[in-house]
Amino acid sequence: MGAINAILGLIPGAGGLGSTGAAGATPVAGAQGAQGAQGAQAADGSFGNSITNALDGLNATQSNADGLAVKAATGDLTDVHNYTIAAAEANLATEFTVQLRNRAVETFNDIMKMQI
Amino acid sequence: MSLFPIFQTTGSGLYANRVWMDAVADNLANMNTAKPFDQPAFQARYVEVQSVPGEGNDPVGVGGGVKVVGAQFGSAEGQLRYDPTNPLANKDGLVRYPDIDLADQMTQLIQAQRSYQLNLTVIDRARESYQQAIGIGVK
Repeated sequence: MGAINAILGLIPGAGGLGSTGAAGATPVAGAQGAQGAQGAQAADGSFGNSITNALDGLNATQSNADGLAVKAATGDLTDVHNYTIAAAEANLATEFTVQLRNRAVETFNDIMKMQI
Repeated sequence: MSLFPIFQTTGSGLYANRVWMDAVADNLANMNTAKPFDQPAFQARYVEVQSVPGEGNDPVGVGGGVKVVGAQFGSAEGQLRYDPTNPLANKDGLVRYPDIDLADQMTQLIQAQRSYQLNLTVIDRARESYQQAIGIGVK
């Protein structure tokens, strides 16, 4: 039951199957949810919230990389590796966020296709 | 603590080694900087670094990279050479040259360069590992 709640917690508005009434779970909490229902009771609300936070972080990473790219173009960049590291970090963060979203959508679709 | 902390750590290593190469470049560029007898010679630059302690929530005491804290200077006495045709020479024909050993500087340059490459390799491996971690369970 904990696992199912954890998965449902990933989907906004899906609530939980049990009486725990979990509003949702962060993706990380969802992964731990298989060990117990408390994993589904995440501190800060829905998957929507956590993905918004993730996107905010992603945005910060990317604007950092963008700023360094501008510096590279204008000749103000002091260290080449600063830009390439920032770019790699932004790339990874994007990949990560996209994966989060993909898996949430996949789980949502799986549940929507469930025979009732 | 960022999501990918290795980049911060390795970035600091890259920076420190770049500064080291800068110092060696400066030393080599000034190898033949002559000074009059009564002035200090060009002093070789040695970069001073310190390890950075890990961030607060780090459980096992792994540090957070390296930090450039300043430069130390080599001998101001330099070496005196007899070069009477040099306009800077004193009445005995002595000119002060920096006390910089070319072989030593080249060795340092190789060390710095290799060390820089090493940190780049770490970044590459870390990126690969993160990517694989992100890809766990992808169909």
